[in-house]
Amino acid sequence: MTRNEHLRNVAYMGGLLLFLSLLPFLTGVYYRSFVMFTMMWVVLALSWNIISGYTGYISFGHVLFYGVGSYVTGILVVDYGWHWLSTLAVCGAMGVAVSFVVGYPVLRLKGPYFAIAMLGAAEGMRVLVTVWDSLTHGGLGIIFPNVENSMETYFAMLVLMFCTIGVSYWVGHSRFGVRLNAIREDELAAEALGINTTRYKLAAFALSAFFPAIAGAIQANKTLYIDPDTEFFILVTITMKLMAMFGGKGTVVGPVVGAIGLYVVQEFVWVQFPFLHLLMFGIFLILVARFMPRGLVGLFIARGWARKGMVH
Amino acid sequence: MAMAEQDIALEIRSLHKDFGGIKAVDGCSLAFPRGQISGLIGPNGSGKTTTFNLLTGLFVPDSGEILYNGENLAGLKPYQIFNRGITRTFQITRIYREMTVFENMLSVTPLIVSERRARERANELMEFVNLTPLRDEYGGNLSYGQQKLLEFARALMTDPELILLDEPAAGVNRTLLADLLERIHEIQRLGKTVVIIEHDMNVIMNHCEKIFVMDYGVKIAEGPAHEIQRNEQVIEAYFGHR
Repeated sequence: MTRNEHLRNVAYMGGLLLFLSLLPFLTGVYYRSFVMFTMMWVVLALSWNIISGYTGYISFGHVLFYGVGSYVTGILVVDYGWHWLSTLAVCGAMGVAVSFVVGYPVLRLKGPYFAIAMLGAAEGMRVLVTVWDSLTHGGLGIIFPNVENSMETYFAMLVLMFCTIGVSYWVGHSRFGVRLNAIREDELAAEALGINTTRYKLAAFALSAFFPAIAGAIQANKTLYIDPDTEFFILVTITMKLMAMFGGKGTVVGPVVGAIGLYVVQEFVWVQFPFLHLLMFGIFLILVARFMPRGLVGLFIARGWARKGMVH
Repeated sequence: MAMAEQDIALEIRSLHKDFGGIKAVDGCSLAFPRGQISGLIGPNGSGKTTTFNLLTGLFVPDSGEILYNGENLAGLKPYQIFNRGITRTFQITRIYREMTVFENMLSVTPLIVSERRARERANELMEFVNLTPLRDEYGGNLSYGQQKLLEFARALMTDPELILLDEPAAGVNRTLLADLLERIHEIQRLGKTVVIIEHDMNVIMNHCEKIFVMDYGVKIAEGPAHEIQRNEQVIEAYFGHR
């Protein structure tokens, strides 16, 4: 990619940043919150994409980091009286710490074994949070002090989203990302051709854990109530996975487009069918995996409208 | 003797590797001369590829030494051995199928090397093996012979000292093979050491200065082509008792 193309992309992002900075002043709480949650899904889909799209380790338990973030902020805000903004760095750090503890053993597994281990890790954490009453308030959940903070949480999520896009853009146009791709394509060959795969996988996993932990924390401070079953809900994982796959995993644009597209559809169309909603979601996941495994970006590449590869 | 030792790029001393009782490599000792093209031959299952896998760290030897620049490489991780200047290709190509040719090349260069130098090197080597027109094509869309060329070029990205080629001729058409052999001689002229495993005896006999023959995990003969062709043990290993 040439310098001019990079500059053009930076200009697009600048325009989007300006637009999204003005938007909350022109709308009420509902749309402000709606855009905030859309941005949250962009963060989640892009983060999942770093370990699963680039590195090929399909995580079925990414809600783990989201839940850890929301609980760290919940405990610090409610039990220790921290201001919620100052908890965000701690939440990110905890997400990374958990990614090392979980990733070190689990990233040795491949394919479905890794997927199942991640599912188990997230479920295990849900159970731990449920039973560890003294720290987490157990199954009753944590109720935050009531406050109208749609503006603050909006801007926190805005900053987080642009950080996530920035890091994803770097991964998606650098040799670091190319080397993650090499691990996805053939880990043994990558190792034989000089890549310390353990180190690269842990780095990718840490990056993909950092942003969801903060996203979970911001979300918790907006929702003002968390409990183990919603914060470690498997549907959160499946949704970010589906968004990334629908847009095109292993790309930067894909998860962004997938997250925006699916969240808007979900909010305005699918909620009209409260009982069919989950069924439709499941069918959609199967159709995407079966008929467009490379997502929308993959279709563009197949049609010759977009270039193959991430580095040119 | 000091002179003779300096001329060895890599030496294996009584290397052993068992797979659940099957002695794949059973006390094998080899010494590849620096700056030459060596051949490693033997019947199927004689331990050639296992030897390559031991040399590159994909398998850890049960015992024995792999001496390279005065260091024992046995037990090192594959990427550590690679970083010491030993690269390889695979018997069945292992290119990255859903990455472009250019990305296949670029992925090999460590991050400490500047982006510009990595790109220059990738472009040079794609030119070297005539893959420049396919630069932005997925590796998986290349013909098998082109994949062999890509794998060969990719193995040269870091300017290695020792290049191990596992059956470079298998599945490659004659024209492309002549091309590939020409490239192998070119890098040898640059002072690199090349070791080739091959079943195509034309390649081995006409292009290797020294040939090592393995059977049942041990070396049974070594020498130039004309000696190997007349060696009784080698003939026996391939064709049975006379």
